[in-house]
Order: sequence, then structure tokens, then C-alpha cells
Amino acid sequence: MRGYVIIRIEGLYLEKFINYCIEREIYLWNIKRVNYTTLEACVGIRGFKSLRRVARRAGCKVYLSQKNGYPFWAHKIKKRKMLLVGAFFSLMLLIFSSTFIYNVDVIGNERISEDAILEYLQETGLKPGTNRYAVDLREMENFLLVEFPELAWVGIDLSGVYARVEVVEKVAPPPKIDKDTPTDLVATKNGVIDRVIARNGDAMVKKGDIVEVGDLLVTGIVSRQYMENPLYVHAYGEVYAKTYYEANKSMYLVEINKHKTGEKFSRRALKFGEIQLSLGGNNLPFTDYIVEQTNKSLSLWRNIKLPVEIILENYYEVVEVEEHIEVEAAKEMMHKEAVEELMNQIPLEGEIIQTKVDFKQEGNTLKGKFIIEVLEDIAQQKKIITEED
Amino acid sequence: MKKSDEIKKSIADLLELPQDIMLDLPKITVVGNLQIYIENHKGILEYSSTRIRIYTKCGVLRIIGKNLLLKNIVVEEIVITGEINGVEFMD
Repeated sequence: MRGYVIIRIEGLYLEKFINYCIEREIYLWNIKRVNYTTLEACVGIRGFKSLRRVARRAGCKVYLSQKNGYPFWAHKIKKRKMLLVGAFFSLMLLIFSSTFIYNVDVIGNERISEDAILEYLQETGLKPGTNRYAVDLREMENFLLVEFPELAWVGIDLSGVYARVEVVEKVAPPPKIDKDTPTDLVATKNGVIDRVIARNGDAMVKKGDIVEVGDLLVTGIVSRQYMENPLYVHAYGEVYAKTYYEANKSMYLVEINKHKTGEKFSRRALKFGEIQLSLGGNNLPFTDYIVEQTNKSLSLWRNIKLPVEIILENYYEVVEVEEHIEVEAAKEMMHKEAVEELMNQIPLEGEIIQTKVDFKQEGNTLKGKFIIEVLEDIAQQKKIITEED
Repeated sequence: MKKSDEIKKSIADLLELPQDIMLDLPKITVVGNLQIYIENHKGILEYSSTRIRIYTKCGVLRIIGKNLLLKNIVVEEIVITGEINGVEFMD
């Protein structure tokens, strides 16, 4: 931080000079012997002033070779005031311009379109070009919640010049049916009926029946022999059925792996918009190869890119090697994959009764069939459309 | 060694004081072959990039090496960096 100068000392008794400096408490560092009569050293500004007398006593000549440090820099800048002013103003401009929002992004929306949210935000004032201090984000969040009743939560975050609107949509509850409206129970899944508990209404299926999606399980239209008009009731209850979840997997037991031999050939290309110019594009020396392509583009700001790209293509020579996979290992892998996949489909309330695994090998292909049998409630209420409606 | 020095040495032994302080001897610390610290020196006799001679209480200390650089030099201490090959006392 403190300024120092690099000096050259020329003379015959350089050791004497150093000793005098020590004596006078002139701090020297990085002393380097250039040749027999020349020495190079660093010395502080204050030390340099008293150096002249020492040099005279030792019979040496001192030359300044370089000035370093803050005081010299400040002295230089003093002569160029406009530069300082310019730097200051450009800094201010940068700070000022970074208070504007340049980009608004909506994430987390699934059913509500992004455009609708953005349009509404624009109306209320949050759009690219507004100052970040001019908008009240908390108020904006409330406005959004009022405008879009489907939203459960809205959070607007500003990170620099980038506004991120995070929304969480309400999970629509299953359509609630009034207790007085007549309903049927229908199947939501294919399965084999295991148990029917009809708390209201007449059961239409019995144990062992095979039902498909949409089949009537418990009817809300109750008719008895002695009744003239059927009675419409609100059927409800549970219908447990065995459902089957199936997954098929196949896998090649022979894997062709490409191994790099270590030979490499690179090629560069320059891309202007759609036109591609290859630089030094020789013919490829390999027959089997892997290409690794890296694009370097000059980006100005976030997503704005210049239409100039440098493409670097690295060609690696490869040798194809066949590798056999152990049947047991493959089975285990497939099983794991299948179970993972099926578990996502099975509802949490479901009770797994049994799993069936069946492997078949055809040539180099191992095929696996995975069936998980689950006991679950498949009943869903559905309104009966009566003639009165 | 003079008579007074001998007395000083025996006092230092008796009181278990460090001898470099009592006898005004140099304390030399060598870090690998890269750096050498000499405390309590009495001045430089010769300095070149391959050889440095420093005057101390117990004779002349000669340091031989390559690209020797006086990193730091104050009244009590000298720091030398470079490739150090040898350090020896001469009379």
C-alpha cells in the first residue's frame, strides 16, 4: 500500500552501502545482485530520500528504475481528473441501471398460463423496465392472489435485475358431492373384486368379479319388487379389489462399449448465424470416433447472444468392445428399476399382496415381467343423472 | 574465548538462559534449502548471487548457493532466499 521504488545501485563497495543502510535504519528488501557493480533493491519512499547521503558516503550512484504503489498512482491520477470523474459517473450509472428490473420469470405454474400472470403483473406495474423501488412486492403478491383464486401462494423475489415470481397452485380437492344427491360408485381401476362394503346402495358386484374402469360397483338406484318407482340414494362405501401393476423391462446382455484409444483430432469451426466456416478442416483420420463438441459463444447479457460462435470439435478414436453383463446382475438391476417405477403408481393406501417376477431370455436380450398385486379401494362416487335434472 | 565470555557462559548454563542472548551469538534458522534467517548479525561483508558472507560475533558466516536474494535486511535480522547449498563459519 505504501509507495516504494525499485532502485539500481552502482558502485564498487556495495556491501558497504548495505551496511550503511542497516545502520541508518533504511529498510531495504528484495536485494538482488545484477552483476559485480550493480545491485537492485526495493526501498520505501521515506528511505529513498535519505538514501542519497548514504550513497555518497559509500561511493555509489543510485538510479531510480521503477515507481510502485499507491502514492505514485494517486499522483498520476491527479493530473487526469476527468478520468476519475468519468469512472465515478459510469459507476453511478451502473448502480442506477441495476435498480431496474430487466427480466420477469414465472415458475411453478402448471394450469395457469405464464402469459396471463405476466400480463396481469404488467398491468399492476411489474414489468421489465420498472424500477425495483417503485413496486411494492408484497402488495403485488396480494393482488395476484386476489386476481387468480387458483393460486395458493405467491412469492416475488428480486435477485439483482431479475424478478422471479414463484407461484404455488392449489391442489384441487376431489369434487365433493352433496350427501343428498343420488350417486353411484364406479371403479377407478381395473381389478378383481375382493370385498364390497356398501354402506348405502345396492352392490352390483361380488367377490371374484372382474371390473374395468368406469364399471358400476354399487348403484344408487334402489328398486325393490313392491316399489313402483326406484329410490335414488346416495351410495357410498368401500370396494376393495385386487389390482395389478405391470412393468415390462428388457435389456441387452451384450453391451458395446466404446473405449478411447487416446488418439485425438481437433477441429475448429466458426459459426456466423447459420453459416459455418471450418478452420483447418482436414479429413478425419479415424473410422470409429466419438465427437465432443463445445460451443463458445460471446454472450452480452444473460440470454442475449451474439450470432457468432466458435465450435471446437474433438474427435477421439475409439475401439468397440463387447461386454457381457452377468444375468444375475442384470436381473437385479431390472427388478430394482421396475419396482421403483411401479411404486410411483401404487397409491399409498394400497396393500401389496404379492409380487410376481418372470424373466425370459431371448438370445442376447433378457426380458422381465414384473407384476405387483395390490389390494386397494377402487370406488369413486359418481352422480346419477336422473330425468329430473 | 575471553575470560568474561566464559563467566557469561557459566551464568547462562546455571540460569538456563538461552545462550544466544547472553553471549550475543547469531541465531540461524534454515528452512529446507530455500530460506535462511540470521538474527543478530554484525553486517554484510560480501554479497553476490552465489556467495554471501556475513560478519557475526563468532566469526564470518559464509552462505553458498544459487540465485541468492536478500529478501529482507534490518538491524537484527537478515532473510536470504534462493537455493542454499552450504552454510559454514570461517575464522
